[in-house]
Amino acid sequence: MHVFKYLALLLLICLTLSFSTALAAPAPSAKDKCPVCGMFVGKYPDWVAGVTFKDSTALYFDGAKDLFTYYHNIKKYSPLKNQAAISAITVNDYYSLKPVDARQALFVLGSDVYGPMGKELVPFGKEADAQAFLRDHKGRKVLRFNDVTPAILKSME
Amino acid sequence: MSTPLNRHSNILDFALSSLLRRKSKNFSLLVVYTLIVFVIASLIFFVQALKREAAQILKEAPDMVVQRMVAGRHDLIPVAYGEQISAIRGVTAVSPRLWGYYYDQVFGANYTLLVPEKNLLEPGSIMIGPGVARNQRIQAGDMLALKTSRNIPLLLTVQDLYPSSSELISSDLIVLSAEDFQTMFNLPAGQVTDLAVTVANPREQVTVAAKIAELFPDTRPILKSEMLRTYDSLFEWRGGMIVVVLAVAVLSFIIFAWDKATGLSAEERKEIGILKSIGWETSDVLLLKFWEGIVVSLTAFLVGVVLAYGHVFFFSAALFEHALKGWSVIYPQFKLTPVIDVYQLTVLFFLTVLPYTAATIIPAWLSATVPPDAAMRS
Repeated sequence: MHVFKYLALLLLICLTLSFSTALAAPAPSAKDKCPVCGMFVGKYPDWVAGVTFKDSTALYFDGAKDLFTYYHNIKKYSPLKNQAAISAITVNDYYSLKPVDARQALFVLGSDVYGPMGKELVPFGKEADAQAFLRDHKGRKVLRFNDVTPAILKSME
Repeated sequence: MSTPLNRHSNILDFALSSLLRRKSKNFSLLVVYTLIVFVIASLIFFVQALKREAAQILKEAPDMVVQRMVAGRHDLIPVAYGEQISAIRGVTAVSPRLWGYYYDQVFGANYTLLVPEKNLLEPGSIMIGPGVARNQRIQAGDMLALKTSRNIPLLLTVQDLYPSSSELISSDLIVLSAEDFQTMFNLPAGQVTDLAVTVANPREQVTVAAKIAELFPDTRPILKSEMLRTYDSLFEWRGGMIVVVLAVAVLSFIIFAWDKATGLSAEERKEIGILKSIGWETSDVLLLKFWEGIVVSLTAFLVGVVLAYGHVFFFSAALFEHALKGWSVIYPQFKLTPVIDVYQLTVLFFLTVLPYTAATIIPAWLSATVPPDAAMRS
């Protein structure tokens, strides 16, 4: 009987997921690699960022920096996709480690917190959190999604 | 039939009978060898099992514990501190904790009193660890009388006992409701023992701890990583007792192997001479010595490891008990969960079997290269 209970629960979760916003993107498996740097994403669950496409395929990144590198040059990494095919982008809020919508999120540049790929754009769901983090961790700037340009990514290399 | 396998089996046969010919010498060798492997393997198993138990316990520990210090001593902390701490960015939750110690004069034992985070118990009922039950000779359903700080007896009903599998942590534990805890110790209003702080992002823990220390200079935040480090160094190889025992065991093994390696007896040299004169090649002699070495050391290794396993996991390391025991009245009677560290056993294997085998072959090789007549005459 337990099996049925779990199945029902699973079904319920799946249903809720499909009806809620795409924020609850499925977690990466141990085999998922970051398309930009090639590292295993599952090892860094705190930093994981995800892109879900309209055909419900998903890609994961080990940090917001690689996510933006991908986003600004989708042709290079997945030639068959483009920005319009993306249905949702999620990043993990630094304080709560819960996924938030990347397009609404704020990113702190130049802090003393490093991700698996070195310098990182540290994501936050709330403006106040981002400002507080900026003060605590010697950040340089709070950026919105559209403020992150290839030039900024270049400066972080 | 002279297949290579046959040759090996014949030489092994000869090796065994030659070992049996010097029964008492080889048997005492085997006993000493087994004893050394037994001591080292027991230590490896014991330390590994304790480390795992500690890690298991600490998995449940809060990310951070905040204690208030007064004149360098742990003191009660106001719950109001918790409200300000939970406002710090990165803190997910702050939960006040109530716990303390109680000395029972009649039974001469110290108990740990603890209030669970969730309200598990009604006022008047308690849960106790197996050590308390043994010490007080009570069971579930019985009453336990504790003396409050105002010298009034407080009668509590034992609702349940903790299973003996958790004895390492729960042995001296009495879990009671917050109301009973208050009756027992009469704490000032709004004060608790310490605060457990949950921080979602482990990277942020140090920052949060620094902020707490700045906000409340009279507190001491203790990180989980610091607790882990303390336990680790306690059980580390360097950890006092263990390293002494290990050093003695390793030293005695070195002396013993050295003794073995420094040469063969005249009789053995003569035997090698005879073997060579009746047509054995040097390689055959070496193979014979190799098999002799393997038989003794592998038997000693296997028997030693199996004995050590039984000693640690079935008899709870009874031989180490007196050296490692403290001075408490209630001792946990626990069985360690078997853990085998393949890496450490492999290291032990290469540290004992290989040097011993080499130590038996090298002197044999030296005397096997001497002409047979010289060897027999010497």
